[in-house]
Amino acid sequence: MSAAVGAERPQVVSHVQQALSYTVFDCRWVPRSARLLCLGSAARGTGIIQLYELHGARLELLREIEKPKPIKCGTFGATSLQQRFLATGDFDGNLNIWNLEAPELPVYSVKGHKEIINSIDGVGGLGIGEGAPEIVTGSRDGTVKVWDPRQKDTPVANMEPVQGESKRDCWTVAFGNAYNQEERVVCAGYDNGDIKLFDLKTMSLRWETNIKNGVCSVEFDRKDINMNKLVATSLEGKFHVFDMRTQHPTKGFASVSEKAQKSTIWQVRHLPQNRDVFMTSGGSGSLHLWKYEYPAQRSKKDSEGSEMGVAGSVSLLQNVTLSTQPISSLDWSPDKKGLCVCGAFDQTVRVLIVTKLNKI
Amino acid sequence: MPVWLREHSWRQTLTAVYLSLPLRGARASPANIFCSEQYLKVSIPPFLFEAILYAPIDDTNSTAKIGNGNIFFTLYKKEPAMWDSLTLANADKEKLQYLRENAVLKAHEKAKEETEAKKITKQEHKKYALEATMKLEEAERKRIEDLKEKERQKVSKELELWKNQQKDGDKYKSIQKKGELHQEIEPLKERKSEKMNKTRILNEGTSKTRLKSTKGHGSCSIFSQNLKEEQLPAPRAAATIKVNFTPRVFPTALRESRVAEEEEWLHKQAEARRIINSDLSELEDLKEEEKNPDWLKDKGNKMFAMGDYLGAVNAYNLAVRLNNKLPLLYLNRAACHLKLRNLHKAVEDSSKALELLTPPVPDNEKARVKAHVRRGTAFCQLELYTEGLQDYEAALKIDPRNENIEKDAEKIRHLIQGTMQSS
Repeated sequence: MSAAVGAERPQVVSHVQQALSYTVFDCRWVPRSARLLCLGSAARGTGIIQLYELHGARLELLREIEKPKPIKCGTFGATSLQQRFLATGDFDGNLNIWNLEAPELPVYSVKGHKEIINSIDGVGGLGIGEGAPEIVTGSRDGTVKVWDPRQKDTPVANMEPVQGESKRDCWTVAFGNAYNQEERVVCAGYDNGDIKLFDLKTMSLRWETNIKNGVCSVEFDRKDINMNKLVATSLEGKFHVFDMRTQHPTKGFASVSEKAQKSTIWQVRHLPQNRDVFMTSGGSGSLHLWKYEYPAQRSKKDSEGSEMGVAGSVSLLQNVTLSTQPISSLDWSPDKKGLCVCGAFDQTVRVLIVTKLNKI
Repeated sequence: MPVWLREHSWRQTLTAVYLSLPLRGARASPANIFCSEQYLKVSIPPFLFEAILYAPIDDTNSTAKIGNGNIFFTLYKKEPAMWDSLTLANADKEKLQYLRENAVLKAHEKAKEETEAKKITKQEHKKYALEATMKLEEAERKRIEDLKEKERQKVSKELELWKNQQKDGDKYKSIQKKGELHQEIEPLKERKSEKMNKTRILNEGTSKTRLKSTKGHGSCSIFSQNLKEEQLPAPRAAATIKVNFTPRVFPTALRESRVAEEEEWLHKQAEARRIINSDLSELEDLKEEEKNPDWLKDKGNKMFAMGDYLGAVNAYNLAVRLNNKLPLLYLNRAACHLKLRNLHKAVEDSSKALELLTPPVPDNEKARVKAHVRRGTAFCQLELYTEGLQDYEAALKIDPRNENIEKDAEKIRHLIQGTMQSS
């Protein structure tokens, strides 16, 4: 499967390991720095935000902030590089944006959902992409809402079930296709295996499919380009890579799927410096590094003459088992190629370095 | 009685005895020769040669050469001395026996000792081999560990370097920023009427205005602010998108679906097809196609369609004799019996069909509905209305959207209530 020779394969080296006294649900690098954030839930039912700095072979705790409700997810995606405000979603359905220098009161706060916010994503900030900064949240109440930090209380877009329809938990959301000021697309994955693609410019459902198993994580390879690839991971160890350049009127997008491990694949994250490399983290505490290869022709004509996409192939570059518990969160550093942080349910956060990424 | 070989010839030296034994045409192999310290025997049935040697010999080193129709023994004496004769002269029967047994025992013991010794050496060899492989593996492991360590250290160094760069970069930026703030406070004071929320945008635009504020004039910052306004579009007009979710029979993951049961059903079907109850004597005079249950079923269906119910029943009967595991045969036969008003038989057949239609999966839904309906009808015609209603309700449970079943169930309910009221 892998074309890389043994000695030349990227190696995943564990650099630092830090034991925490709470359950960590999300870990993020602070952009343009060697600092990382851990978000989670303490045993007494409150939320914890911890800010660490990487010092040699250890992590130094710079700041610990406690909040009344446990925090599930966070993102820096919608703030500017100077401000670096953190947007978090908590177990109560509140969306808050914090200034980490002055974290007592949030900069923006709204009770966005009736139930836990499972996933959050931001676009338009950090000097990446164009257009208004927006945050999307997906919740257990089955709705997906898009927020603009300049507009209080009401979401800018709301994707909710039809009246009377039984709701399904939304487990993951991701922004994509933000290559100019008007275009935006939100992809949401649900627990019954539905993947829905919403176009925010036309405010309509652009595509939907069902991959049979609950969708744990979706991510576009880049948020700020014409949508190129989407990876969706699910329960039972499968993930699908969709080629998003060509949409067929009935068949949708072409995809290739891979069964990586027997357990749930919790997260997928693309390497910021190379959009064809991504890492998946699994319920068995393992990390797999994959590379996508494009097919010779990305689209072909079907019998009626309409264009349909051709999916490429995925090869495993490396895999490593770090923990016995699921690795629930993963983040690549946008500044240093190969540096990543992962948080697992064994209450440890690990900083890893993936070597030899230049050679693939 | 064995044939004794007596035409042997021998000669001796001080240390060895050379014995030549001609075999009268018999072929010898090492298994036929038995030798111990003082006893030598060659037994090639029916020939036999044995000798109680004059003095003990060293039987481990002595050799026997087989060839050319005779065996040539080279026996090395234990004590170098000249023997008077090859064998002991006055060897009586008892002594012979005793010596024979002794010889055999000794041979056994020797064999045992040899195997023991072999075992021990084998064990030692194994141990040695194991230790050697363990050492090799240790070395390999160590090598890999070293490689890993080196990688780790290299990467840590790189990281440190990068971090220091970052720190320097940050320091530079913060100094710059301080300079900016001083410069910008003046134009801000001039611009009190400007909306306050622009200050946020001003901070964002620091990188852009950096170049411009070196000129230090208020007018430049207005332009930069306006530019920033245009760069960030207004918040989107709020809208809602309604979604539908894919309906699922079971609202849980694939692993909890009824795939297992479906598989079982398919398997059962496949099995059923393969069973052919062979009752050859009676079936010999049937044509080839008449032995095929499917063909018979089709024939039965055709006859049912034409109204020849007895013929259809016959066809199904034959089919059942050939293969009694196909549920559809019983189902169709039940329908025939209904038409023929053989109600009890109809009930029996529908029940048998239902039995065969387990496990209940979406695949055999239609068949099960039919079976319930037919049995229900039979019950009703037998005036066993409650049983009939039970079957109709079962059918409704499987297929809630069938109006005919609904109507019939209603009718039965009315009938029951009617009889209850009247009784």
